[in-house]
Amino acid sequence: MSANRIRFFALLAISLVFLLAWAFPVVWSMLNSLKTDRDALAYPPKLIFSPTLEAYRDVLFGSGSILPNLISSMVISVGTTIVTMLMAVPAAYALARLRFRGKKFAGFYVLATQMLPPVGIIIPYFLVLRNIGWIDTYQGIILIYLSFSLPFAIWLLVSYFEDIPFEMEEAAYLDGASRLRTLWRIIIPQVRGGIAVTIVFVFLNAWNEFLFAVVLSGNTVRPVTVAMFNFVSVEQTLWAKLAAVSVLAMLPVVVLGVVAQKHIVKGLTVGAVKGGGRR
Amino acid sequence: MRSFRPTRRTFLKTGTAAAALIGMSPALLREARAQDADLALYRSAKIDWQQASGETLTVAVIPASYFENLITLAPQFKALTGIDLRFEKIPPAQIRQKCVIDLTSKTGTYSTHAADPMYYSLYAANKWVEPLDTYLKDKSLTDEAWFKFDDIIPAWRSADSVDGKLYGVPYDGEVTIQVYRKDLYDAKGLKPADTLEAYVANAAALNNPNDRIWGCALRGVAGAGQNMYIYPSIFREFGGEWMKGGKLTVNGSEAEAALAWYVDVMRKYAPAAAANWNWPDIADAFSQGTVANYIDAHSSASVVNNPEKSKVIGKVGYARWPKGPSGKRVTSIWNWGFPINAAQSDKRKKATWLFIQWATSAETQARTAHRFAGPTKRSGVNRASIWKDPEYVKLMNGFGANFVEATMQALEHDTDVDWRPRVPQWPAIGDTMATAIQSALSGQATVKAALDDAQRRIEPMMRG
Repeated sequence: MSANRIRFFALLAISLVFLLAWAFPVVWSMLNSLKTDRDALAYPPKLIFSPTLEAYRDVLFGSGSILPNLISSMVISVGTTIVTMLMAVPAAYALARLRFRGKKFAGFYVLATQMLPPVGIIIPYFLVLRNIGWIDTYQGIILIYLSFSLPFAIWLLVSYFEDIPFEMEEAAYLDGASRLRTLWRIIIPQVRGGIAVTIVFVFLNAWNEFLFAVVLSGNTVRPVTVAMFNFVSVEQTLWAKLAAVSVLAMLPVVVLGVVAQKHIVKGLTVGAVKGGGRR
Repeated sequence: MRSFRPTRRTFLKTGTAAAALIGMSPALLREARAQDADLALYRSAKIDWQQASGETLTVAVIPASYFENLITLAPQFKALTGIDLRFEKIPPAQIRQKCVIDLTSKTGTYSTHAADPMYYSLYAANKWVEPLDTYLKDKSLTDEAWFKFDDIIPAWRSADSVDGKLYGVPYDGEVTIQVYRKDLYDAKGLKPADTLEAYVANAAALNNPNDRIWGCALRGVAGAGQNMYIYPSIFREFGGEWMKGGKLTVNGSEAEAALAWYVDVMRKYAPAAAANWNWPDIADAFSQGTVANYIDAHSSASVVNNPEKSKVIGKVGYARWPKGPSGKRVTSIWNWGFPINAAQSDKRKKATWLFIQWATSAETQARTAHRFAGPTKRSGVNRASIWKDPEYVKLMNGFGANFVEATMQALEHDTDVDWRPRVPQWPAIGDTMATAIQSALSGQATVKAALDDAQRRIEPMMRG
């Protein structure tokens, strides 16, 4: 075997190991979700078994159906994403392009909020929401989620805005376009990739959040991350059902990822080809 | 004045409605009568169940079958008292956090919650919950002859008391016992261990990893209710005392001997993964036939006897915790009790008491256990009288040889209120100890170093 071939196979083997390590939890959940509880527990693990959709039927249509929880998660995540983006795009543009007093401080302050450990701020959040009667409501949870998704989105977006050559904007001004019109018509189309990336991350963070959700939600609004824990009781862990819920909870994120993929690739590379600058 | 002129339509409408009502009335009457019969046993109590009618209580519980059974009875409670119940199910690891947040902030969100006995010292020190003796003694709120508070398992009651004052009423509880594979023991002529020494010998005799059988398994995962569930029993059995001369001491010679025993038995005879196992993992492994013995909550018997999962049904036996060198057997006295949140109006506190009295009464306990229509039967009922009820005993003995005897003996003789240091600082202390034990179990630190380190960390907590 030539040296090249050895190198090829070595690389292939390493890639396969990485692939396995990456795919293992997902594949494992999927397999377990198709088993009965007895098969899911079997040791050594059963690779050959008669698959059943029982776990899915139970978690979707059984007495403790997680459909309302999936809906809760969807409303919270979509809501958070929309509000975040509506506020983050102009904010990031302002931080990247405008000159104003205290700009550096504003930039730092936005980031500083990210440095607080979530557990440390959960009690004040709880109290505030409780006093305005927003515990266990969509608006309450979305408001709290904004507190971490907004700084994150702004900082992600700023870098994309900074990468756009200022000359493009100048050309638009010369043609008589207003600032807002320039932002909307010229700038935003340029950072579409960045926006797509940000949307995916903001959505993902909201979708997977657990700590705030478990404290601030109740019976009315209960995202799937919290409901999932009901399959881990003090008495036993219902592995097959837990796996089925995990797979169901993964689906929307996978769909979003596939849809946004084209933009994400573009978004990730955009910085490399364009040079811009902070004003 | 508008005169009433019946038209054909109104005539038809009224007629149909009347006919429907007459047609339905036997059903309505039956239902009302059924409900009366249902509630008669509660109404025999000499109190006004309706005195807090109109209140709504939010009750936080954990997802567990014994609470699910209670939730289905909420309509009966509403019919009896006129009080609405809202249950919120919170995962066990989070219910403490969430309720402590509610209690510290005095928002009164949860009228009561499934409370961990180890938290009562903290709750009581901060006056977050009400002392319950006043409610028990108030004749307008409690009919002592009907409620028979003394019938509730004494060990659990004392676990829910601080300095002799009651702060929670036990709803469902556990005690720690040995669960063993009778068939494997019989094959080798072994008896369930009576001492910790014999326990090690049994584990050694049965340990055969090549055939995928391990001698024993004890909870190993770090956590205040995990490795700090098993270790305190061993510590006390070795003669350890938490508050030596009024000072919390965790690194005495008994502590060293106890932790060394725990580490040794886990390393030699438990599956390597058990260092990260919680009790459902142990029960799962046992039900798959890979573990010969474990010491854990008696309630795990329902898991190892679940026909949908278990391969060892009919092969299980039970025995008490083995005795330690001090001659004592010490098991945990865990239970979920209901306290009254102090940050509520007086009327709502009364309503909460009525709920607690109803939920922990012998009648509701029976209705959620052997007399429950659903598939899950509780093994943690709070009433000594029910543990003697032939119907209940028969059901429980379905779990295997000696189940009821071992459980009752353990509950009556083997429990110890000072099983863990009962101080308000417990949550932090428990976590510190858990980390120390884990570092010894995993071999990162010697037993002595781990305990000395824990002592160093705990001292400032006790000062502050």
